[in-house]
Amino acid sequence: MSGSNVWSRTREKMRLFPELFAQCANEAAVYGKCVAATTTGTQELRKDLCAKEFEALKICFTNAVSASVSNCHTESSV
Amino acid sequence: MSGRLCRRLLRLGLPASSAGGWSRLSGAGLNGTGPPGAGRSGLSGGGRMNVFSREMKQRQKDWAAQLQDSQQYDYLRQEVGSRVADRVYDIARTFPLALDIGGGRSHIAEHLSKEVVERFCLTDVSQQSLRRRRPSEIPTHCVLADEEFLPFKENTFDLVVSSLALHWINDLPGALRQIHQVLKPDGVFIGAMVGGETLYELRCSLQLAETEREGGFSPHISPYTAVTDLGNLLGQAGFNMLTVDIDDIQVHYPGIMEVMTDLQGMGESNCAWNRKSLLHRDTILAAAAIYKEMYGSEDGSIPATFEILYMIGWKPHESQAKPAKRGSATASFGDLSKTG
Repeated sequence: MSGSNVWSRTREKMRLFPELFAQCANEAAVYGKCVAATTTGTQELRKDLCAKEFEALKICFTNAVSASVSNCHTESSV
Repeated sequence: MSGRLCRRLLRLGLPASSAGGWSRLSGAGLNGTGPPGAGRSGLSGGGRMNVFSREMKQRQKDWAAQLQDSQQYDYLRQEVGSRVADRVYDIARTFPLALDIGGGRSHIAEHLSKEVVERFCLTDVSQQSLRRRRPSEIPTHCVLADEEFLPFKENTFDLVVSSLALHWINDLPGALRQIHQVLKPDGVFIGAMVGGETLYELRCSLQLAETEREGGFSPHISPYTAVTDLGNLLGQAGFNMLTVDIDDIQVHYPGIMEVMTDLQGMGESNCAWNRKSLLHRDTILAAAAIYKEMYGSEDGSIPATFEILYMIGWKPHESQAKPAKRGSATASFGDLSKTG
């Protein structure tokens, strides 16, 4: 497998995941607490139980992605 | 063919699918932070088990071996290999011929000396791993062989070792019986395999994330042998004087992606037939958040637990101590009250 292909490009994108995730630590903690609460409490986990918190996390993450993409573009255009 | 290509794309592109672990919870609902994985050996007798795709495991090991920086993923194997070598040293004997099953790049032989083992034989399914094996002072033969079909005659080896290879074997009782066969009488088998609660944090995080995001969950971690079953397995294979002990190795990672990338780099990607080849990006995000929240430590890192089961079994021989015959006692417990 030589050169740039969809697998290597996808893997490159995944490599950015930790940094981008670190920028959304607060939203991640809120979502994590919501899900973790179901393991101790009486309420059982079902689909979209914490959808609101996840939306907040996803929006934060998507913003971080577009911020990093625009950074890359400005750097390469200089 | 396109199906297989598709799966390969997703396996390489989304390292999330590479975690090796399975928890089949028989009841509904989740049991919280540390559900016990169902023991594979719970199936009684019957036909051959076919849980893992051995061909896929060979391809994954080949891929991991020819990575440029494959050395950096070796830490777990190095640690376990050195502990197995310790156990070999504990036995005050010289072994003329030893076998390392699933040895890969050979992490045990480098810790042993020629006084303990005179000749070594290394087997693995992956040719690339054997080619890149680590140097050792003991003369070594490399054999490309599957752990479930050992191409050796009976009563060949004085010592058989295995480090972190047995957890990908389909028919573990059969493999143990074959090991028992290739051993000489009074030979010893020293093995280390991951078992029990390994990677339970990863398993739970993925489970919870998938349930919350997708409404159900599928196995991503492969099934492990429970420590209680290991004694039975060894006994059924014909070993005696068994020793089984557990060691917990906890490794801290920055995040869930690093855990999964490292597992993939170690060649420990999931190869069970029932693995799902796709992990949605939402689920990865959710699992990262859950893992950090539920298991994260104060310094921001997350732990991953590897529970290593060490086993020692001997092939029966007349020189070995046997339980005393009934009625041969020379003293009685009742005499204890008469002393003093």
